[in-house]
Amino acid sequence: MWGQLFDTIFKAEFLFSVIRITAPILFAAMGAVIADKAGVVNIGLEGIMMISALFGVLFSYWAQSWLVGVIGALFVGALLGLMMGFFALKLKTDIILAGIAVNMMGAGGTIFLLYMFTGMRGNTGALVSSNILIPTVSIPLLQNIPILGEILSGHSVLTYVAFLLVWLIWLLLYRTPLGLNIRAVGENPNAASSVGVSVLRIKYIAISLSGALAGLGGAFMSMYYSQGWNSGMVAGRGFIALAAQAMGRGEPVGAMFSSLLFGLAQALRTKVSGLQGVSSYLVSLIPYVVTILGLVVYAASTLKRVKKIKAAHPEVKR
Amino acid sequence: MKDRRMFVFELVRGAAAIAVALAVGTIFIFLSSDEPLNALRYLLIGPLVSMKGGLASFNTQGFYTILAAMIPTIFTGLAVCVMFSSNQFNLAGEGIVMAGGFVAALAGIYIHMNTGWHAVICVLIAAALGGAIMLIPALLKVKLGASEMVTSLMLNYVCMYVVLHFLNYNFADRSKGSTQTYAFADTAKIGALVPGGSKLTWGFVAALVFVVIIGLLMYRTRWGYAIRMIGINQAFSKYSGMKVGGTIVLAQVIGGVLSGIGGGVEVLGRYSTFLWKELPGYGWTGITIAILAKNNPLLVPLAAFFIAYLNKGCQLMATYCDVPSEMIDIIQAAIFLFFAAEQFLSGYRQKIVVKNTRADLAKAAASVEGGAE
Repeated sequence: MWGQLFDTIFKAEFLFSVIRITAPILFAAMGAVIADKAGVVNIGLEGIMMISALFGVLFSYWAQSWLVGVIGALFVGALLGLMMGFFALKLKTDIILAGIAVNMMGAGGTIFLLYMFTGMRGNTGALVSSNILIPTVSIPLLQNIPILGEILSGHSVLTYVAFLLVWLIWLLLYRTPLGLNIRAVGENPNAASSVGVSVLRIKYIAISLSGALAGLGGAFMSMYYSQGWNSGMVAGRGFIALAAQAMGRGEPVGAMFSSLLFGLAQALRTKVSGLQGVSSYLVSLIPYVVTILGLVVYAASTLKRVKKIKAAHPEVKR
Repeated sequence: MKDRRMFVFELVRGAAAIAVALAVGTIFIFLSSDEPLNALRYLLIGPLVSMKGGLASFNTQGFYTILAAMIPTIFTGLAVCVMFSSNQFNLAGEGIVMAGGFVAALAGIYIHMNTGWHAVICVLIAAALGGAIMLIPALLKVKLGASEMVTSLMLNYVCMYVVLHFLNYNFADRSKGSTQTYAFADTAKIGALVPGGSKLTWGFVAALVFVVIIGLLMYRTRWGYAIRMIGINQAFSKYSGMKVGGTIVLAQVIGGVLSGIGGGVEVLGRYSTFLWKELPGYGWTGITIAILAKNNPLLVPLAAFFIAYLNKGCQLMATYCDVPSEMIDIIQAAIFLFFAAEQFLSGYRQKIVVKNTRADLAKAAASVEGGAE
């Protein structure tokens, strides 16, 4: 059994699938990073992914163009983020409850919306044709390199966008005035507001960006990964993204590595569950258990660091 | 006088939030249905009124069905009340209901007892398991500062897959067409309260007893006081000498115990074998109920009744009209957003506060004048 497992893992095809599986988690994790930097917990990522995944398929079907679908999903995601912001910031609903509400809409509301728009139940089977799916690209030169080419070339456009976004988000956060404001608002809203930063405006921007990123993740899920929308397709990826953000210390690059870890765990699950004598249910546990362990390791190391700093500066009390 | 005005305001605000949510639902019904008025009738009065030949009559069985549907959600609602009161956003109730239901079922199958205590023992085992599972997010939060929200969300999936593994590989009754366990012993079943197929069992009475117990716990004991104080101001509680860490763990363990009982009572009362193949959703409904009840255990049955009523209405609407029953999620989400919105109708509250203050000032001025004479 182990030999069989090693055979499947040490193949370019396996690493290719790790990247493919990581991408949607990565989108949502970037959304979690931006929101968290502005001091907002976006637990609604899961629901936003579900809803924008549905609208991605619907828009691309109506326009018969995948690009329209992706942009539509992005806008729906941003709108949902804004809606969460409106309730959390304006009407003072607890942001976690607002997020849970969005998740409810994502779970059952999408089934209802699909029926309302198309009369279909549970999945978009008949709507999807290959011309409205996100196309894959082969990267010239790279694709000719033996193993590397097999792993890195031939992914969908959005997969490359996902990894590019890690760098872009880092740039946004650390090299632009908006990023500085976002971090300032998250770090200390009173200080930010005292130097004339509109805390509300920054939080609105951050949460709608977060929604837009989750929207892209949703589009990836329905328009590439599972080639159509079905109920329950996001399967906790929004929640895993939150964990990836926490494990990656809230930084874009860290979140990318923890997303890759989850991608790896999930890819392993698909491989292992094909083997004889292995419980597919226990293998399905891997990503979630890895998440909890990762959180424990992260939290323990943070605690140690804080203690060390406190020991070095006994005059600081908190 | 002042308190009464604010109380009336809270009532009005709650009613307005529910009205907005139902209005949102109505809009969606009109958008999606060919016979919106018929659908609305099923949603709003269908659960309790049966129409036969133009004659409306009270549907007693329907009423019992609604009460039966409240049993698990009262338990999860209470669990969320306790946990959210201490400001711990622990969402693992969902997974624990499933795990609790599963072990209660196993205890019902493999433990042999003659007395009427069998069902109680099964449910107690479920409760113990629920409390034990909840220790994980609670201790991680208190000892390491790991977000209880994320760990509890992950735990839901862990519970589900572990249960499915044991169900499929160890305890499945292979003679049945679908995956399920063997049937529980008759001694383990929770007896019906009323005749008929409504599934209204003694579990309902147990749920109401727990409403009183948790109400007393939260408002008449020092533990309940500590839980609520920590929820309101953790730093203050810490500096005034409360054991913050221990209380946070306690609140979540109580939540786990209640969720476990909910799962056990539901499985032993409603079914004759364990056959859940996914998370049952009672944990999330419990959150809606706790929000509606404003974390007050004594209001939980009322909130649970409301949600069970709406749920039944949505099912009827899906059965007899062309509106999918998932409509309930949209209505629930809207209730969630508006009901929990502190600033919803805040302008109106502001007016009440201003009015009260003016009245107080006038009274004070009058008494000063009176004293001067």
